[in-house]
Amino acid sequence: MSETSTLRRERRSGRRTLVLVLPIAFVSIAPLLWALISSLRPGDEIFAHLSPLTWRTFVPESMSLDNYLAVLSGPFALALVNSVIVAFFSVTIGLFVAAMAGFALATLNFPGRGVVFALMVVSFLVPFEAIAIPLSASFRDWGLANTYAGLILPAVGNGLSIFLLRQFFLGIPLSLSEAARLDGLSWFGVFWRIYLPLSKAPLVGAGLILFVFQWQSFLWPLLIAPAPSVRVAPVAIADFAQEQGVDYGQMFAGAILAAAIPLILLLLFQRQFTNSLASSGSKE
Amino acid sequence: MATPLLERSVESDAIVRRRRRTSREVWWWATAFLAPAVIALLALRILPTLSAIGDAIPFGTGRSLLSNFTYIWTDPAFLGSLRVTLLFSLIVNPLQIALALVLAVLLTKKVPGIGLWRTLILLPIAVPQAVSAIIWLVLLRPDGPLNAIANAVGLPSVPWLVSPNFALASIVIVCSWIGVGYWMTFLVTGIRDIPTSLYEASSIDGANAWQQFWSITLPGLRRPLLFVLVADTVSNLLVFAPVRLLTQGGPQGSTNLIMHDIFERAYTLGDTQAASAGTIVLVAIVIVVVGIQFRLLPGKD
Repeated sequence: MSETSTLRRERRSGRRTLVLVLPIAFVSIAPLLWALISSLRPGDEIFAHLSPLTWRTFVPESMSLDNYLAVLSGPFALALVNSVIVAFFSVTIGLFVAAMAGFALATLNFPGRGVVFALMVVSFLVPFEAIAIPLSASFRDWGLANTYAGLILPAVGNGLSIFLLRQFFLGIPLSLSEAARLDGLSWFGVFWRIYLPLSKAPLVGAGLILFVFQWQSFLWPLLIAPAPSVRVAPVAIADFAQEQGVDYGQMFAGAILAAAIPLILLLLFQRQFTNSLASSGSKE
Repeated sequence: MATPLLERSVESDAIVRRRRRTSREVWWWATAFLAPAVIALLALRILPTLSAIGDAIPFGTGRSLLSNFTYIWTDPAFLGSLRVTLLFSLIVNPLQIALALVLAVLLTKKVPGIGLWRTLILLPIAVPQAVSAIIWLVLLRPDGPLNAIANAVGLPSVPWLVSPNFALASIVIVCSWIGVGYWMTFLVTGIRDIPTSLYEASSIDGANAWQQFWSITLPGLRRPLLFVLVADTVSNLLVFAPVRLLTQGGPQGSTNLIMHDIFERAYTLGDTQAASAGTIVLVAIVIVVVGIQFRLLPGKD
């Protein structure tokens, strides 16, 4: 009896908490909803019904995908494709490099391991954005301005993903790799056939970190890849807003498209993302 | 008698030789596995830091080695950006962490539909910052929806981005909208790691929710809270996209955060030496903040 009353009390307090949570969730989602609604109405209608507020402010007179068609037939389509290309290669190359480094640091006992660790700590201390401006000068000297390589390379030096994978690899018993080595597998075989297949969750987590890093990136592409042929979505969106006589309907359609891909990935992989971030942070 | 000894020494020689071979082999593999990452970290972090130092300190030019630093330290624009960054940090960090903490506590209770609410609150972090900034650029316009709502409930319009008094507040709002859900995530996991038995025992003792928060949740969250404090502070020191897109540092320098100041120096003014000196000041601030983290973090459990 006391158990059911506790349960009832919990349920009642849960409903009371909901009253607090709902407005916060609304504030968090409202700007995105407004962008979504605005992307479905003609550009000149977006500010037409703002004052006084009526239901027309929130419901378009006619909904259409015209803005999406228009924005996808313009230069923004290329920017979106560029973002996808950069993100794809950043995740695959970045994960491979980080996993190899994490594997070596977790399983191989070699002199100089401390030096490599020190290097990683220093790379943690200096955030990428802080040195983006001097780095962009070096990249230009190396002929990497306005190239995909120039956009992708920063994801290869991601200390957080190396650290994350190393932590996970440390949890895999060494006896497993020793047995495989006695059976004649090379170290690369141990890495490729044993460690990687066992590490799907942290690989997804580290992959999402690399993806978000690249998809979010704004300052770096602004510095290193301003040419229209390699322009990425966030820079294209910013250019859009600074144009004269900007069509807000199309701008919002572009914004929604640039937001949709990470949103879908986040919804699909939310658990791994949350767990990988959380454990890397609190147990560091 | 002698033969076994000899045999043993031959055998141990073989072992030593094999070990030496393995160790050389391990060395080779370690180099192969680590080379790409080490080269990337050297080229992408260490080298640009050194090149910024090289740019900022004019070796062999006869000028005082610290001349670029004395220049930016007496430049009102740079001092203004440091002041704005400090003010911004003092407002935005406590605000974001307090909001994230409140949300984390609320979202670890037995609320109906909890997963959905948590996801909705997390959504803004998936949106690229430049895209978020563009959405808010329109929301905060003088004739934008935020002022329309204010007018509808009888409040006057707010000159969000155009008045020096409100522009920094606008940046705080946008950054918090982007960030709070993200920092909340770390705290949610931290709260889940606190044993529920502690809460059960204290409810039997008659502790109310407030007492439980102070005596169980907060002490149990010490590590994740410290992590969030430092990570949030560092990320707010590096805010760029919202400033670039919403205010360009203005009006009257009221939102000229340090990253934007350095960018302007390097690209609009073309003063790479002063920009590099600013970069070094920024990196030094970040290292001090992270250093304080390591001091504050409790020893390994």
